[in-house]
Amino acid sequence: MLDVSLVSLIQDMSEKAGVEGTIQYWARVGESLAKRMGKEAYMGWPSFNVALREGRTAFSIEGDVSALTDLAITDVDGDVVGYIYALKVCVFNPTIDRIRYSVGTLPRADRAVAEEYNNSVRDTAVCNFCVIHQRFREEVAKSIVIADQPLDCLQLANRGYSGDTKIADDSLRKIGIDPEYVRSLLRNYACVYAILMKGARLKGEEAD
Amino acid sequence: MKSERKVLIDDNPFVDVAAYLFLEDIADKQGASGMNNYLVSLATSLAKSMPEEEYETWEEFVESLQKGESIISAFENVVMATPHCLVTTECPFQKGWEEYTKRIGSFSKIHYDVAEYYNSTVKPGAVDSQCIIHQTFRSAASERIKVAGKPVKYAQVSAISPGGNKKTAPDEWLPILLEKAGISHTMLNMIMRNNACLWILYQ
Repeated sequence: MLDVSLVSLIQDMSEKAGVEGTIQYWARVGESLAKRMGKEAYMGWPSFNVALREGRTAFSIEGDVSALTDLAITDVDGDVVGYIYALKVCVFNPTIDRIRYSVGTLPRADRAVAEEYNNSVRDTAVCNFCVIHQRFREEVAKSIVIADQPLDCLQLANRGYSGDTKIADDSLRKIGIDPEYVRSLLRNYACVYAILMKGARLKGEEAD
Repeated sequence: MKSERKVLIDDNPFVDVAAYLFLEDIADKQGASGMNNYLVSLATSLAKSMPEEEYETWEEFVESLQKGESIISAFENVVMATPHCLVTTECPFQKGWEEYTKRIGSFSKIHYDVAEYYNSTVKPGAVDSQCIIHQTFRSAASERIKVAGKPVKYAQVSAISPGGNKKTAPDEWLPILLEKAGISHTMLNMIMRNNACLWILYQ
């Protein structure tokens, strides 16, 4: 119920503070949620991936996340510096379902916030809520170390409730993954992202 | 219908926890009164965004309440103790609260402070911020329902928060509320042993 009432406020907030104001609010919420969840440290990628599977990391709050261990990200020396992760169901989907059954339609501001974010911040949002959880993941990554190395999180692709998709070509090029391959992942997952060692020398970046 | 009902009552931990933090952020800037305004505003705006309802008879309305088809019982499972007394078996904020306490820690004090503010300035019935949303929603939703052409009125009797704190209507109000509910004080205590909330609807 809380989530549905929050969505009903988005229109009002966007009218008062503008869609830019809503983006700022949502980004702050994502950041604050990540910071409040505390720090984590892992010996290596296997222990992190097990923690993720068992729902022990901050990333697990989003729901059923799979580590796609067949999709390791390697650096210029061929060392594994990260993996691709996929969220089965968009965190916003249950809320959208509830809005459909109780209110009927999403407020217009949902689309307006996503479009403004795509134009002014990064072209990766399919709904207003992407603003919160994409920022959340970026901040969570900063609070986790694997083998004493801090992490980075890159948004790669996502699919909205009505089927619209966003593919982050720049990030995919950086980690050397074919966009078509990630597109095929969206058939079975709602959101795909990479977690990797901060500052890793990636093949895609070297090529640029 | 059954799966739609489940979808409505289930909540969304990630969004709920984000919402709690959003509200805490507002409280940091505007204090308990600012947070209270937001809570009231979001609950009212939710009720207003839902379709209005009309029923020919009170019995027809009660049937709709029990099936969860009425907007006022859309987000919670209710049992009718009497035709005017509704019992919410589980607080619809329970899972969000559990997720918060599991992932973040103990529920921020501001959620209780704002309830004290609400109790002293609006109506004494809230345990925490969640009750403010819930009770304001019920009040605003009841105004959108007519039975035999007359509007429905709502009153809060007792609530137990997911954290176990209880708030019952003031002693001087209780006899009137219990009479409208059609239950005794002993029955109220018995019901509240294993349910989350008791409230009444009347005309």
